[in-house]
Amino acid sequence: MIARTERKWTMVVDLDKCTGCEACVVACHAENNVPIVSQEQVVRGRAMHWIHIERYWEGEYPNVRARFIPLLCQQCQRAPCEPVCPVYATLHSEQENLNLQIYNRCVGTRYCQNNDPYKVRFFNFFDPVFDEPLNEQLNPDVTVRSAGVMEKCTFCVQRIRRAEERALVEGRALQDGEVVPACVETCPPSALVFGDLLDASSAVAQLLQNNQRAFRLLGHLGTEPSIYYLKGGTSRVGA
Amino acid sequence: MGIGPMRIGRRTFLQIGAASIAGAVLAGCEHPRRWVHLEPYVRPPEEQLAGVATWYASTCRQCPAGCGIVVRIMNGRALKIEGNPEHPLNRGKLCARGQAGLQLLYNPDRLSGPVQQEQVGGQGRGSRRFSPLSWDAALNALYSKLQAAGSRFAIWAGSNTSGHLVDLFQRFAQAAGAPAPLFYDLYSALSGRRALREADRTLLGDEQLPAYDVGHADVVLSFGGNVLGTGLSTVRYGVEYGAFRGQPLGKRGYLVQIEPRMSITGAVADRWLPARPGSEARVAQALAWIIADQSLGSPDRAARARALVGETDVGQVAAESGLSVEDLERLARTFAAAERPLALPGGWVAGQPNGGEATTVIQALNLIAGMAGQPDGADWNPMTTSQDLPSSELVRPLTSSFSEVQDLVERMRAGEVQVLLVHGANPAFSLPDALGFADAVQHVPFVVSFSPLVDETALHADLILPDRTYLESWGYDVVSPNFGVPVVSSQQPVVTPVFDARSTADVLLTVARGIEPVSVALPWSDEVALLQDVIASLPAGAFGGSGRDVLWARFLQHGGWWPALSGIPSLATAPPALPGAPIQLAPTAAPSAQLAQEYPYHLYLYLSDLLSDGRGANQPWLQGTPDPMTTVSWQTWVELHPDTARELGVQEGDIVRLTSAHGELEAPAYLYPAIRPDTVAVPIGQGHTDGGRYARDRGANPMALLGAEADGSGDNLVWASGRVSVTRTGQRTALARFGNRVGVTEGFVNEAFPG
Amino acid sequence: MSVHRGDGLADGNPADGNPADQAPSEVTDQARQARARYLLLDERPMPDLVAQLLGPMQRAGPLYWLLFAVLGCMVLVAGGVWIYQMWWGIGITGLNRPVMWAVYIANFVYFIGIGVAGTFISAVLRVLRFQWRAPITRAAETLTVFALATSGLFPLIHLGRTWKFYWMLPYPNQRRLWPSYHSALLWDLTAILTYLTSSVLFAWLVMIPDLATVRDRIARGWRHRLMNVLALGWRGTEGEWSHLKTATTIFSLAIIPVMILMHSIVGWDFAMTIQAGWQSTVFGPYFVSGALLSGAAAVIIVLAVARKTLHLEYFLRAEHFDGMGRFLLVLSLAWAYFYFNDVLVPWYGQLPVDKTILQLFTSGRAAPLWSLMVFSNLVLPAATLWSRRVRTSIPAMVVISIFVNIGMYLERYLIVAVTLGRNELPFDWGAYVPHLPEILITVGAFSLIGFLFLVFVKLFPIIPIWEVREGQMKQGLRRIGRDLVPTRVDPD
Repeated sequence: MIARTERKWTMVVDLDKCTGCEACVVACHAENNVPIVSQEQVVRGRAMHWIHIERYWEGEYPNVRARFIPLLCQQCQRAPCEPVCPVYATLHSEQENLNLQIYNRCVGTRYCQNNDPYKVRFFNFFDPVFDEPLNEQLNPDVTVRSAGVMEKCTFCVQRIRRAEERALVEGRALQDGEVVPACVETCPPSALVFGDLLDASSAVAQLLQNNQRAFRLLGHLGTEPSIYYLKGGTSRVGA
Repeated sequence: MGIGPMRIGRRTFLQIGAASIAGAVLAGCEHPRRWVHLEPYVRPPEEQLAGVATWYASTCRQCPAGCGIVVRIMNGRALKIEGNPEHPLNRGKLCARGQAGLQLLYNPDRLSGPVQQEQVGGQGRGSRRFSPLSWDAALNALYSKLQAAGSRFAIWAGSNTSGHLVDLFQRFAQAAGAPAPLFYDLYSALSGRRALREADRTLLGDEQLPAYDVGHADVVLSFGGNVLGTGLSTVRYGVEYGAFRGQPLGKRGYLVQIEPRMSITGAVADRWLPARPGSEARVAQALAWIIADQSLGSPDRAARARALVGETDVGQVAAESGLSVEDLERLARTFAAAERPLALPGGWVAGQPNGGEATTVIQALNLIAGMAGQPDGADWNPMTTSQDLPSSELVRPLTSSFSEVQDLVERMRAGEVQVLLVHGANPAFSLPDALGFADAVQHVPFVVSFSPLVDETALHADLILPDRTYLESWGYDVVSPNFGVPVVSSQQPVVTPVFDARSTADVLLTVARGIEPVSVALPWSDEVALLQDVIASLPAGAFGGSGRDVLWARFLQHGGWWPALSGIPSLATAPPALPGAPIQLAPTAAPSAQLAQEYPYHLYLYLSDLLSDGRGANQPWLQGTPDPMTTVSWQTWVELHPDTARELGVQEGDIVRLTSAHGELEAPAYLYPAIRPDTVAVPIGQGHTDGGRYARDRGANPMALLGAEADGSGDNLVWASGRVSVTRTGQRTALARFGNRVGVTEGFVNEAFPG
Repeated sequence: MSVHRGDGLADGNPADGNPADQAPSEVTDQARQARARYLLLDERPMPDLVAQLLGPMQRAGPLYWLLFAVLGCMVLVAGGVWIYQMWWGIGITGLNRPVMWAVYIANFVYFIGIGVAGTFISAVLRVLRFQWRAPITRAAETLTVFALATSGLFPLIHLGRTWKFYWMLPYPNQRRLWPSYHSALLWDLTAILTYLTSSVLFAWLVMIPDLATVRDRIARGWRHRLMNVLALGWRGTEGEWSHLKTATTIFSLAIIPVMILMHSIVGWDFAMTIQAGWQSTVFGPYFVSGALLSGAAAVIIVLAVARKTLHLEYFLRAEHFDGMGRFLLVLSLAWAYFYFNDVLVPWYGQLPVDKTILQLFTSGRAAPLWSLMVFSNLVLPAATLWSRRVRTSIPAMVVISIFVNIGMYLERYLIVAVTLGRNELPFDWGAYVPHLPEILITVGAFSLIGFLFLVFVKLFPIIPIWEVREGQMKQGLRRIGRDLVPTRVDPD
């Protein structure tokens, strides 16, 4: 066991900047080998998007608004999905403060999804199909899951691990901004920011310091997510 | 013509090896620079380590913006595309379409090798029976047809073509005495590229595409354009929007979106104003007039307003648009009083019968605000004319006018075109049936497509010489609009070509050798030689270096050429001279009573945020990702206001038929709260009959509903003034939606958006 | 219940006074009525009783074989569908995100519920000395065992990777992991295995004297050999009877908390989550009461069917259905109380997601199912089971019991499949529709129970002969001074 520095990986989602463009959604599919399901399966509710944009309508025409909330696994510190798994397929990483998903252990009871209030877990109802040569694109750092296994966002743990290993090998500390999940990397308005909250100089720590816009989703449930949202707003001009 | 491999020199090997993967067979041509002797992977190139990725820079070609990308390669496979952090346009960010490029590279339905379409029972084209032939045979066939055709051939290319290929097309046509190539595809047409360029020519005397410094603006009025989804530079405007909302001291800008149906830009706007379709530019004119009339803002602004815009009856504009006079006045006051206001003309406005003028009026608001030519305003590209390009060898991407398109189709129909070459465009799918392309192409004896997959236009072709996809191609893109920093973005193959495809530029160069006048005009042995010549002609840029090889290597390595910070040309600070006569748009014509009766609804078409103009339909990531506003995937749908649906007795999922004067479309209804009740909206992108398994046989193509008229200036297709009637077909289908699957659309975490 | 203490009077009509004051013919009539009405007063010689049971055991008519074939086919079809599902994936069902549990888990809970009642009737009524339970117990215990076995299949069927189910069992493995006892599923597993084991042992234990009887009556053949093994050499000695009594008492007392805890644990599968509509502290007793209700009704149906097809009119009389009917009524009211509790509290709290679920049930898309459930579980029993006429009419009891079962199944379905469609984020709401695989497997499960019963009745006597005899003998016990003296009353 290599001694590791404790991290508190945190993401900040600025709801004021998200445009709903879904670059993050496609980037995640590409990075994490998340399958695309057919039209029929989408109709039957089996679509899998580890990060997706929830669009809520507000108001009545013509004063109607649409709001975008990017939703992904909240990596809760007191994750309700963890205690219910009978085989420890989902469990907490104390060192990284992440909610891990171990595909090989999963037997597919789907209990974790029931206890997930954010419903950000996705089940492989069938074996995923990657028509050749699309399978050439699959990321070798990430397991390709089979039918019967639950999956969810991991904060691109493969990128975290690679960066930590590289830093270890090079004998230096990890820099803020070295670990960037796929969604964060591609987001054009930079609505997503990622980093280690324990590092006081990191972008996330700076952003969250005394930030009155910060809140956590469904905070009343006590799940203590690692994702902080910054409230969006509306500019108004007077007469 | 004999083609044979030759060994490559070591020096040349290294310079190419530094830029592309070992073992890459770069082209089918015989120049000594190009062939790389295949090395076994036991001795990989020095920069390759098993299990460690290498990143190669290139340019994305999923839309014409020209964002720089870097591609992660491991063991010879392209795994992930990211934005190039060094690239001045997109600064490391990338949109959904850019991310999906890998699925074009590895698309299972790509052609491997040239094919010809078989004659089956007297039916040639459209038989969908393709028989393969060798590259030699195919090249020879093309060569002989072109030689026989002399000057009677035509080239139809997309406006997202690499600069060097644009150059080659133009030289080829000119040398052979043929008419100039056409550069026209639906994405550019619908984003109003041509109209914007022409508006600049009118107002400023130069014809660059304008770019808007939204990131530093305080008030932005966006007219009819989904800037953040499918505009001229989606990623960069996304970056700008992020800065717009995150300005210092808590300032977050004020964005107003004026469009009949809420796009994602409308969703994040502070106000969404559903003006009646066709009246958007009149609204701009009214705002300008209010500024002039009430002397709002600074005296300079009011003066410019008076000079630019003629008298306007604001009350009438209010009636035309459905907005209130108060709203118009408030907007005018806000715009005039702002420090850095911007007005963004969108593609929807350019698609109206007075599209060119309408765009000009909106652009005029920027002149009124004094933003033109200011460092933080509407930045005009300093590379205005060809002599202002950093090198005269560079060729900018072009967009032809719609009347040029009509001309070509006429010539085809008249039998004046013996050979038609189609590259990077799909007119059989993306142009209205009323244009008559499918009919006219029957009169062309020999049609050649360079499409990597069999698309609808290739179905009319006799011969397909599949081009490589952009991730396997060489090229460059003069980024346009370039937001104040001239950029020549580079393209290089990031993997060994997966399918047996050949670069069209190389095909042209090969074929040109045998045609007398042309071979002089196209003296290069292969495209890389051409590219290296172009790059060598560039002045010193941000990465320095001298000597052909070094410049070439750095060009590829960093993803392009751009000037050093000190070398960015300063922009004009003096306000440009204003045009002579004030602009005045005719009032928006109400439809005739008969028209309103027969086709009661405005038809609002929009480019899909994911599929764009249909070119994304063969990438399952784009098909399967939910549409941002409706969350539907894989389908076409018709958006109706819930009141409209109720009147028609239509429920969600009922298949409705839209009928226009030109055609019909059937698709399931979607109840959309943010659309005018007198308007129906349909996304563009589906309705393919070819294009691979993911694209084919799903949805419907709304271009069938449009006529093929040009606007007053002849530049733009009129696509934004359609009208339809809506009827129920009595059938139903399930909508493939990701969210709100039980039909509830309201209610969310209230704490997320207070106020 | 006074009748069962041996008063010999039917309707508790004390006005008749001292039998000695009545005319001999009246006494005879009353006695005859009593014998006709109450099994325990209607002694017959042992060989008669045995013959009544052994006869059907050894004969099988065409109806039997038809049922055998039909039910057997349905079980095989269900098995085939299960294999198909393992091959292709859970996707062939109607499950989706967010409804990840639906018919299979509803079946699991439902069949366990049925299983609970069997033991309740057997153990609790035994402990409380309700003598009328005598002929019912075996059918009830058998139903328990079969229902449990069937329900135990469903956690396997619903698994995404069924072939790895054994990872949930605690055994030393190469992963160096014990299964996680934080998870309610492991509590389920433990409780159910415990309960199943105890139920099987208990059922067997109390069957031993009858197995010996059959062994003795059928002197040769495979049946004899089978009984010989299973009867464990029972000879019916005083000592053996005494041991049996003690063992039965211990078992009865011990299995009651296991039963209550087990079904509470099944309820806690849901209550321990934070899913809206599931997180309710009343789920423990609520599920237990619901289980008893459905189980009691199921027992009634089984008894009625057995009575008709095996001609057990002697053993199973209106009085038993009357008793079960009263039991059913009490359980229905108990269930209604707990359900009211479960609904009242969130209704009062008015949290948005709770309101949504309540609205979905009472006036939304699930309203037809919910109304049928309330009707079947509360309205119908409460309206009808007050009446003795209804309770003693076997067809009426069967109809009511069927409705109760439908209602209880719907209750499980609503809790599992419909509630999961709602959560705190409306964007992610969904709905569930059962598809053909679930339907076929559910039908197969019911068929499996029926099939197992078909096999059982040909192997073992469905009525506990010795308990009936014992009950009948107890009717003749009189307290004289401090002693209990067995007496006999001759009718004529």
